[in-house]
Amino acid sequence: MFIDFFYKLRGVGLPVSPTAFLTLHRAMSGGLVNSLEDFYTASRCILIKSERYFDLFDQVFAHHFEGAEMPDPKGIELDEMARAMLDAWLQHSGELSRLLGMDEKALKQLTPEQLLDYFKERLKEQTEAHHGGAKWIGTGGTSPVGHSGYHPGGLRVGGISRRQSAVKVALERRYKDYSLEGPLTQALMGEALKRLRHMVPAGPKDRLNVEATIYQTTKNAGEIEIVFDRALKDKLKVILAVDNGGWSMDPYIPLVQTLFDYARSQFKDLKTYFFHNTIYDTLWGDPARFRKAQRIEEFTRLDPETRLVIVGDASMAPYELLATDGSIYAEERSGRASIECLNFLAETFQRSVWLNPKPAAVWDYTRSIIAIRKVFPMFEFTIDGLEQAVAHLMKK
Amino acid sequence: MTPKTETNRFAGASRYVLDEELAKIVNISMALEMPLLLKGEPGTGKTMLAHAIAEALGMPLTVLNVKSSMKLVEALYQYDTLTRLNDSRFADSKRDVSRIEDYIRMGKIGQAFTAETRTVLLIDEIDKADTDFQDDMLDVLDQMEFDIIEIDKTVAARHRPVIIITSNAKKDLSDPFLGRCNFHHIAFPEPDMMRRIVAVHFPGVDRDLLENSITAFYRMRQIDGVEKRPATRELINWIRALQSDPDFKPKQLGKGELPYLGVLFKKSQDHQRAREAVSRRRL
Repeated sequence: MFIDFFYKLRGVGLPVSPTAFLTLHRAMSGGLVNSLEDFYTASRCILIKSERYFDLFDQVFAHHFEGAEMPDPKGIELDEMARAMLDAWLQHSGELSRLLGMDEKALKQLTPEQLLDYFKERLKEQTEAHHGGAKWIGTGGTSPVGHSGYHPGGLRVGGISRRQSAVKVALERRYKDYSLEGPLTQALMGEALKRLRHMVPAGPKDRLNVEATIYQTTKNAGEIEIVFDRALKDKLKVILAVDNGGWSMDPYIPLVQTLFDYARSQFKDLKTYFFHNTIYDTLWGDPARFRKAQRIEEFTRLDPETRLVIVGDASMAPYELLATDGSIYAEERSGRASIECLNFLAETFQRSVWLNPKPAAVWDYTRSIIAIRKVFPMFEFTIDGLEQAVAHLMKK
Repeated sequence: MTPKTETNRFAGASRYVLDEELAKIVNISMALEMPLLLKGEPGTGKTMLAHAIAEALGMPLTVLNVKSSMKLVEALYQYDTLTRLNDSRFADSKRDVSRIEDYIRMGKIGQAFTAETRTVLLIDEIDKADTDFQDDMLDVLDQMEFDIIEIDKTVAARHRPVIIITSNAKKDLSDPFLGRCNFHHIAFPEPDMMRRIVAVHFPGVDRDLLENSITAFYRMRQIDGVEKRPATRELINWIRALQSDPDFKPKQLGKGELPYLGVLFKKSQDHQRAREAVSRRRL
C-alpha cells in the first residue's frame, strides 16, 4: 500500500527509509489510522525526521492525495529570491529597476503578484543561462549588473540598507548551505581528523582511580586511602571559516560539505563562518553572508588555543588581498587590506591552517596564494593534506 | 496487535493544552512502542508533554536529564566500587562483599526498565550529550535491554516504557538514531492556542490582562535581532509577575508601558534591545 507515495517522497529527495515505511504499515495494521488526517499525522511523524522537510512533505502529500501541483525544488528557491527582490523593490524602486534595466514606471504599474511573477521569470532566465551571454545578470557578458570572474566588472550594489543587500544576495550565485547534505567519504575524513583532539583533565576530581586507590590502601597497611582523578575531556575549540562565494569554489562544494558535516558532528565547540575570496573586517555566520556579521577584532576575546581552519582556494585578484579597499563588496571596504586582517587572525590564533582544495602543484602560479601562504601554513585539501594539517594543529 | 483500551490513550492533562495532532502522534508512538522525539524552540512545552502524559495515564515518570559529559552507562547503571571497597575494609554492612550485584545501582533508564509498572521515561535534551551517547543508546532502545558487564547479566525491560526524547536541535541527531524514533516538531503556538494555554495556567485570569499581555507578547517576539525570543514559559512567568504587582493595570500594556521586561528577555543584549524598541514605540 502507498508504494507510489513512498517513491514520490524519495523522488523529491526526502530521506525516507524502508524501515520507517514498514513501521508506518505496522501503525496502520494496528488500527491506529482511520482517516486521511490520521494517515497524514502518522506518516509524517514516522517517516520524516526533521522539521526541515515538513514543508516538502506537505507538498508531496497534497500532490499524491489531492492532486496538487508537484513541488519543484528549484521553484521554492526562486520563490524566496523573488520575494526578497520584491521587498527590495518596495524599499528602493528606482534603484532596482535601474539595475534590472527596466523602466521604473512600467514596473510600478504591476501589482505585487505580477511583480513577483516577473522577478521569478527573470530569475529563471538567470538559472538557465548562467555564465556569459547577454542576460541581465551573470558572470561575464554584457550585463549591467553582475561580476565577471575575479573582480567586479559592472556595478555591485552598494550597501544602502540591509534590504538592499537582500537583493544582492538574491542576485548572486545560488548559495549552498553546506550542512544540508554530504557525500559518503565522511568516514575517510573522520579518520584523518580523529586525532584533532585536545584532551585535558577538567572538572571536579570525581573519578575514582581504582588502581591508585588499591596501591595506596595496601601501602597504608589496609587503611583505605582513596585516590580521585579528574576526568579527561576534549576541550578543543575550532573555528571553521569557509569560502562559499563565487564560482571558483564550486567544484569543491562536495568536499567542503563533507568536512562541514563531519566537523559539526565531531567537535563540541565549533564555530563556522563564511567569507568570499578573502577575509576583511568581518566574517559571516550565515551562508548567505548578510545577516550575522562577526567582527574579527572580537576574536581576541576567544581562547587563543582555538584552532582556526580556513577553507578556500585563495585565488583572487592580487588587489583584493593587498589594496586597502580591495573588497568587491562596497560595504566591506574599511581601509584595512585583507592581508592585514589575515595577519591579525594568524597572530590571534597561533594554531591555524589554510586548506586549499586546489592541487599544491599549481599554487605557485597564483600570486594571492603565494601571499597567503606566507601568513598561514597551507595544506592541500586531500586526505594526506588533512593529516598534515592536523599534525600541524596539534603540534606543541 | 495489542487491542487498545481507552485507559492507555492520551487525551491531555490538567495543566497542558494539547493539540489534536500531537495527541495522535503520542498515541501512535505508544502503540508502536517507539520513542517519540520532540523538537522545537525552547519553552514550547516539550518537557511538559512528558509530565502531562504521565499525569494523564497515571504512570510514574522517570526523568533523565542529559548532561554534556554524560556516558550512557551512567544512565543505565552504576557499579559502586567505593562502597564495596569500604565494606571489604570494615565488613559491618549487610551487603555481601563477594556479590557484586549488591553494588550495582540502577540509573534512570535502568529504573524505568526494572519498574513494577509501565513508566514514562523522559530523556531530556539529548542533543547536549556526545554523539557517542546516542549511538550507544540505539541498541538499548531497540532491544529494550542492556548488559551489566560487571556481573554479566542482561536487564530487559519488564514493561516497555513510554519514551519521550526532547532535543533543542543544537546539533542534528545521527541518522540511525532518528530511524528508531518517531518525530514531531512543536511549532510555536498561535495566539489562539496561547490564550488557551494561559487560561489553563491562570484559571479566571482577568480578560484585559490576558488580551493585552498576549498582544504585547507577540509584538515583542517580532523585535528584530533578538537572540533568544521569549517563549511560552516566559509569557507565563511574565503574567505571573504582572498579576502580583498591585500597582499594575492591564490598560498600561495597551499604552506601550511594559514592565518586567527582564522576565521575558534573559540576555542582557536582548533586554537592552527590547527596552529600546519599547521606548521608541511609545514616543
